Amino acid sequence: MSDNRRAAVPAGILVLVLLPLVLLPLGAVFVFAFRGGFPAFWNVVRSADAQFALRFSILIASATAVVNGVLGTFAAYVLAKYRFFGKRPLGVVVNLPVAIPTVVVGTSLLLLWGPIGWLGKVLDPLGFHPMFAPVGILLAHVFVTLPYMVGAVRPVLDELETTYEEAAYTIGASRWQTFRFVILPALRGGLLSGILLTFAHSLGEFGATVMVSGNLRLRTQTAPLYIFAQFEAGKIAEANAVAAVLAALSFVIFFFLLTYGVGGGAGRAGRR
Amino acid sequence: MSIVLDGLTKRFAGQPVVDQLSLELTEGELFVLLGSSGSGKSTVLRLIAGLLSPDEGRILLHERDVTALAPQKRGVGFVFQNYSIFRHMTAAKNIEFGLRIRGVSAAERAERREELLDIVGLGGLGGRFPHQLSGGQLQRVALARALAYRPAVLLLDEPFGALDARIRSQLRRSLRDIQKRLAVTTILVTHDQDEAFEVGDRIGVLDRGRLLEQGRAAELYDRPRSLFVATFLGAGTVFVGRAENDVAGFGAFSLPIPADVPHENGARVQMLCRPEQVVLAAEKSDLGGPVIGRGTVLEENFVGPVRRLRLRVPRIPRLRQVAPPPVFGEEGLIVDAAVASDQPIPSGEVWVGLRGWKILERPAPRILAAEGAEASATARTAAADLASALGGSTRVLGVAQDADEVEALGAALRARATDPARRTSVKVRTGRFAHEVLAEQAEAVYDAIVLEGARAGEGRASARSRTALLRIVEGSSTPMIVVKDAWAIPKTMLVCTAVGEPGKTVIRFAGWLARNIGASVTLFHARLADDEPEFVRAHLERGLAALRALDVPCRLANERADSPAEGILRQASREESGLIAIGSHGPSSRSFFGRDDVTFQVLAASDRPVLVIPESAW
Repeated sequence: MSDNRRAAVPAGILVLVLLPLVLLPLGAVFVFAFRGGFPAFWNVVRSADAQFALRFSILIASATAVVNGVLGTFAAYVLAKYRFFGKRPLGVVVNLPVAIPTVVVGTSLLLLWGPIGWLGKVLDPLGFHPMFAPVGILLAHVFVTLPYMVGAVRPVLDELETTYEEAAYTIGASRWQTFRFVILPALRGGLLSGILLTFAHSLGEFGATVMVSGNLRLRTQTAPLYIFAQFEAGKIAEANAVAAVLAALSFVIFFFLLTYGVGGGAGRAGRR
Repeated sequence: MSIVLDGLTKRFAGQPVVDQLSLELTEGELFVLLGSSGSGKSTVLRLIAGLLSPDEGRILLHERDVTALAPQKRGVGFVFQNYSIFRHMTAAKNIEFGLRIRGVSAAERAERREELLDIVGLGGLGGRFPHQLSGGQLQRVALARALAYRPAVLLLDEPFGALDARIRSQLRRSLRDIQKRLAVTTILVTHDQDEAFEVGDRIGVLDRGRLLEQGRAAELYDRPRSLFVATFLGAGTVFVGRAENDVAGFGAFSLPIPADVPHENGARVQMLCRPEQVVLAAEKSDLGGPVIGRGTVLEENFVGPVRRLRLRVPRIPRLRQVAPPPVFGEEGLIVDAAVASDQPIPSGEVWVGLRGWKILERPAPRILAAEGAEASATARTAAADLASALGGSTRVLGVAQDADEVEALGAALRARATDPARRTSVKVRTGRFAHEVLAEQAEAVYDAIVLEGARAGEGRASARSRTALLRIVEGSSTPMIVVKDAWAIPKTMLVCTAVGEPGKTVIRFAGWLARNIGASVTLFHARLADDEPEFVRAHLERGLAALRALDVPCRLANERADSPAEGILRQASREESGLIAIGSHGPSSRSFFGRDDVTFQVLAASDRPVLVIPESAW
């Protein structure tokens, strides 16, 4: 009991600090979004530009989650289960995108894939222009979010002792069957967290996207870019309406993450 | 034959973990592989299951060569130490997994699953998830899962290791019942001797990848052939004595050597007595059998039906103790005894005697290569050469200055071990070089120590290693070969003998060595006067006779010299001897090394390999 009373002071300080940093701004987004009433909010959200931006963002985020679900799991599997020369450097490279500013990622992608980039120069005559196009955005998002996927799956794989695979082999399961029936189910929790994290990050990605997309209305404008563009143009209400939708989406993802993510997922599935 | 392993060898980083292992199991047999950790026992199981592939040898399961097959194709049931039950599947799903993979219909699967749950005593618990089951239950699920697809053989890797003692003995019994009921050929791996005795039809003892002995529990306990098995399976006291005309002499007492464990005349003989074979009495006359001496009780442990005693008995000359391991620097013999709890123990000093014993087989020679800090590979090469000529093994001993260096030194020694016969092991001790070498030879049994000596006339850098060398030569009770320069298996040996007991020991050991490496011997005696007393001539004649009896080509060189050392050195260079063998007085006296000592002079002056044989050796 006395412990609870003493905790009140530091907990109170924490709330006071977080209030202006996190809670009040989040509240403000919703307050401003609905200042003109629900109809005004609804009109903005239903407008063609906003609709495109939101749908496009969700599409890109879904595609990123799918691509990284496979690529990230593969990367985590290779890094966790094999021993080879250069494993440590490779592990660093996989996690590097977290440390690099996203704008820098966008710039470097432009320099590589853009019309005057090394690869771009080769691809341009073939009619393939990844930059300022949805493919380019997907590329940037996959790059930026890969570490989240690997980071969510790898600890689970590290914990999964090799004897589980070996047990499956001696029982008669092929490598694929072992992966499908033994490893993948064990990864469920990590996989789900990774996918949700990837989705959430992709949904809000701004720095790399703004470089790579060209910010073309109704063609490559994601929701965050839309918000920024509206804000720049002084249309605060429009910006806030879409921001509120994004925030609400994030809350939903966050809720799933807390409920089914790592630490809940694999263990909880058994505990049910 | 259900399982046949033929010359199986597996090496990790050049070191053999499983070494030329051959084994045959009959149908339905439960074989226990017993070994300490690192003995390679789990590796054997993984080789059979196909989780590792052998470097050499073959594996046959029911007359089918599976050596090159993938684990999936071998039809092996494997129970892992951690059980590796799939956590996201129920017990039932786990058990059915092998059948599901094989495309067995759901109805059939369910039938087999229920049958198995029943067999392992988990009826009605199929719907539980692993975290809802206890350790013992998980182990049963693992067993059922491994049995589901009717494997050709069952492999169990320390299946009771993670369980507490009470459940363990219960599960051992039930495992044994299940195994007998299904008559599936099984190998169980464990480090637990009680477990091996309790469940095994036969037991195989594994040490450093080699299967030393195999047999029924009682056979191995009552009649072990080797020292390792004798001390690994059950407690007991092991003494080393010397063979003389079919009798093993242990100083105070002698025991007959049975015809089936031949020992060469003069060779070391090891004797084992189990605690229950030791008799205690207040009066010497009450003992009846051989008498070890009058001792005091050091420790007493009451363990229900018996009382375990550890006694100290005064040292007996010409008897050395191997087990329980003697404490370095302490005199006296340690004898383990067990007496029935209701039998009174005489208070104070008691007479200790034997009522039963077993003479062990002559072990394969073991050579210790002791490497100083600045050593080159000379000692190790010489030791490996000798070991392979003698059909024995080598151990390289490194001495680290402090505990931090142990690992690095061990790794360096292992990396340098390029022994084609793969009979080299590495050990690292911490402390001062001479002290640790002496401790090692006192604790373990070696036939010889190979040391690198400083060359004559080398500078001060080697002064320290020379001091260390002398200290070892002074203190060792094991013959030493000091190699300074080039090394080759000697073709000729100059055996220098004095009159009396040390002379006999020198001739015995040198003769044994010469015979085994195919060298000829010149028996040398330096005469200080022109004429020689009769008893010296008689001694030399007996020496020659002993060498001839060993089938060693030999001749006598009896020369006039100003000093023994001078005569020895002159003779050695005249004959180009590959090795000079000379006696020393062993660990008993410490201050005999004066300038006059012949052994010291020869060691200091000659660059040829010198074999120093302590009086107390053999």
